[in-house]
Parts: sequence; C-alpha cells; structure tokens
Amino acid sequence: MAPLTNALFGFLFILFCYLIVAARTRRRVLTLTLAGLLVVAFVSPPPAEAQGSVLLAIQSVMKVINGVINTALKTINSIRTAINKFYQEAVWPVAQINQARAMATQMIGQYRSLMQSIYTLNLRSATLPNPIGLENVMRNHQTNDFASLTTSFGNTYGSVPTMTAASAADRTMMDMDDALAIDNLKTLKMSDAAGDLTLQAADGIETAASQAAPGSAPFLTATAVVASVQSQALTQKMLAAELRQEAARLAHENSLRKRGSTMTGDVNTQILNLLKRN
Amino acid sequence: MKIVIESVKRGVRWAWEHKVRALILLMALVLALPKQVRSQFDPCCAVVATGLTTISSTLSSVIGGGLNSILSIEKDISTFEQTVVWSQNLINQARALVASVQGLFNQIEGIMRVPVNSATLPATQKFEQNLLSRDPNQILQMSAQYSAVYGVLPAPTGASPQVRDMTDMTDAAAQAAMKRAIEIDALADLELQAADQLHQNIQTAAPGSAPIIEAEADAWLVRANAYTQSATADLMRLRAIDLANASANVKNGAANAAAVQQQIYNLLKRQ
Repeated sequence: MAPLTNALFGFLFILFCYLIVAARTRRRVLTLTLAGLLVVAFVSPPPAEAQGSVLLAIQSVMKVINGVINTALKTINSIRTAINKFYQEAVWPVAQINQARAMATQMIGQYRSLMQSIYTLNLRSATLPNPIGLENVMRNHQTNDFASLTTSFGNTYGSVPTMTAASAADRTMMDMDDALAIDNLKTLKMSDAAGDLTLQAADGIETAASQAAPGSAPFLTATAVVASVQSQALTQKMLAAELRQEAARLAHENSLRKRGSTMTGDVNTQILNLLKRN
Repeated sequence: MKIVIESVKRGVRWAWEHKVRALILLMALVLALPKQVRSQFDPCCAVVATGLTTISSTLSSVIGGGLNSILSIEKDISTFEQTVVWSQNLINQARALVASVQGLFNQIEGIMRVPVNSATLPATQKFEQNLLSRDPNQILQMSAQYSAVYGVLPAPTGASPQVRDMTDMTDAAAQAAMKRAIEIDALADLELQAADQLHQNIQTAAPGSAPIIEAEADAWLVRANAYTQSATADLMRLRAIDLANASANVKNGAANAAAVQQQIYNLLKRQ
C-alpha cells in the first residue's frame, strides 16, 4: 500500500510544480496554492501518536500485574496454604494418626493374648470314661468327627430301644429327642470352629488397623461391618438350633401330657368296668 | 558545464521575477522531502523497551513467583495426601485384608453347610430333614410330620377342655418355633450371600466409595439384628408357654386335689 501512496504523492507534487510554474496570473497561483494545501490536508497520513500514550499503556499493564493478578495470586496462595495447614494440623495430623496406630498396637499387646488365654481355658469336667469321651468330642472345635460324636453320645446316653423293648410312640420321641440333641451338639461344634475363624478375622482387621492410613481405614471398617453381618447370621443359625431344641423339649412334655390324658381315660374306663363287675 | 550554469542563472532569474511562486514551490519541496526515520535509539523506542523489560521482570517476579509458591504448596499437599492420607500401598494392603477376611468367612460358610442329621427312624428322619432344610417352602408339611412324632390333640372325650387348650397351645408354640427356625436358617443363608457380595465389592472399591458400601453393610447389620430379635422373641415365647404350662399344672393339681377331697368326703358321708 505504501509504494502506491508514494507514487500518487510524487505525481501530485510534480503536477503541482508544473501548474505553479505554468500559471499565468497571480490569482491562479493563489488558487493552486489553496488547492494544494487542501490536498495535503486530506491526503497526508494521520499524525503519529505521542510517546505519552505508550507510557500510559505500559503503566496500565504494570498496574494490572501488580494489582489484580498479584492480589489474586497472593489470595490463592494464602488459601492453599491455609488448606494445607488445615489438612496437616486439623484433619489428618500425622502425630494423631500415629497415635491412633500406636493405640491399636498397644491394645493388641494388652488384650489379644490375655483374651486368647481366657478363651482357651480347659472347661472339661467329666470324670467317667464315656462322659469324658463325649465331652472331648463335643468341645474339640472340629467338624470332621461327627460320627465319633454320635458314638460317644450313644455310649453315654444309650441308644433307642428295640421295637420289642418300648412302644412305638416312646421310640419315636426318644429318637427325635436324641436326634435334636446330637444335631445341636454338631451345630455347636460348627459354631466353635466358626467362632475361631471369626476371631481370626477380627485379629486380622485389628492388625490392619494398627497400620492403616486414613484413606485405607474405610476398607477396614466396611469389611468389619460385613463381618458383623456374617457373625450375626451365624448367631441366628445358633438361635434357630436353640429354637428347635426348646420347641422339641416343649413338644416332648406336651406329648407326655397327651399320653397322660389317654392313659387317664383308659384307667377310668378300666375302674368303671371293675366296679360294674362287682 | 556551461549549459548547467546557464540553466541555473535562468532559474534564479525566473525565481527573482516570480518570488511568490518560487516561495510556494520551496515550501512544497520542503513538505515533500522524505521524513527522518526513527532509529532504535529513538527516545520513544527506548521507553517501550524499558517498559517491556519492566513488564517481563514483573511477570517473572510477581506472577512467576506467586505461581511457584502455589506450585510448591500444591506439591506439598499432593505428597502429604499420597503418602499419609491415601497411601496406595496401604490401600492395597487393606484390600488384601478384605480378601483374606472373605476367605475366612467362606470357610465358615463351608463349615456351616456340613449336614448334622442324626435321626434313625423313618418318621423322625423326615421330620428332622424338614427342620434342617433351610427351605421356607417345607414349612407347610411341618404340621403332619410334627403330629407323626409327637402325637395329635386328644379328642374332646379324651381330655378336659383345660388340658386340651393347654396341649393345643403348647403344640402351636412348638410348631411355630420350629417353623421360625427354618425361616431364620433361610434368612441367615441370604445374609451370608449378601455379605459375600459386599466383600467382593469392597475389594474393588476406592477409598471414597468404601464408606458407601459400609453404609450398605450397616443397613444389612440393622436388618440382621432385627431377625435375631425376632428369633429371640420366639425363644422367649416358648419359655413363656413353658412357664404357663407349669403354672397350669399347679392349677389343675389344686383343682384335682379339691375334687378328690370332695369325693372322699362324700364317700365318708355315705358310710
């Protein structure tokens, strides 16, 4: 664009000089001068900006940097510093995290062995061979010797009489009573084994707690709650067994009551028959 | 050379004769002369250069310095969170522990599934199988099997109304408790199944999602407590009926003793 402007300007300048030289009257010279001035006024480029406006722009940028941006950065810095301090001093102070871990370790040392030794005290009290055998098998926390339990139970409490030795009703009831008693003894052996494993799980969770971080603790609490649900389910199974046993005991008594009524009726009839004969 | 001198003389003569025109041409020439170019050493460029240098140094010190401070704090926070709060190593250890606890409870589940049936006679075997079935659909067959083992309610001519009431109530409580035992076994199985699912989910959880699973497990725990309470309630009902039976026996005994006394008295009167 600039060369074109220069050529135009040169052409106009030569034309102006020619017309001034060739002008015949003063009036024409004056007219040409005025026309030239007008052309210069309209065609000439706009005046350059003064040095003052550049300075103002630089000062304005400096003002923004030192003002708004600097203040914003300082504010962000102070907020992040405060958050960092809050995290390290209030939310997750390392000293207290270590203290909590130490507490868990200390509790493991203080209670685990003690409770284990109490829990494993020998409770066996039978004195005769058969009861000793039954007691041993009842309390051994094993689930692979149910046949021994049945044998030991039979040795101690006897077996169901033969068909000729007792009435069918008695045999049925005895068999049911024995069955439920043995079922429950087996369930208790299973519960003992389950209790051992549950204690093992509790020990594992406690040991992990003594090494946990705030971010890993939720896993431990979650698994502890789930273990509680499972433990509760096992308690329910024991309660179900207890319900069966209690119900059977009540049913046994009731059965005797029913038979008592029948026998009373029979005795009444027999006495009446005797009196009639006399 | 002579021509040049001659031309200059003619020009000067023309200028002298046309002073105004010469003046105008001179002014036009002055105006048309090329303007001076501003060099790098121009005072204006020096000001701009100084300004840009100042801006650059301010950017480095104010913004760069501020950002560096923030970066250092962010690094500090990041290191703290990754080593103290959410240590990946400890999170993995916790996940491994969850897997180990799940393994233990799977063993327990296996143990609890070992059959315990012990009855030897046909009627009692059927009844026992039903009692230990953990299947609520078997509850409907309970009454017939119960009667086969424990007998039926005496006919109205076979016992007094009081004894029949007591017998019926006792049978009802015993049967209900046995049905509840089947129900509780089935519920406990479902709880163990749900717990297994929860354990699997904890192993793949993030520290932020584990508390949600914990909340779900808490809900299951509350539910399990409710079932335990319901089983305990049935146990208490059984014992209450037992106590009531003992009391009824004493009452019946007293009534029977009074009746016998009256009959002896009547006999003595006749003699």
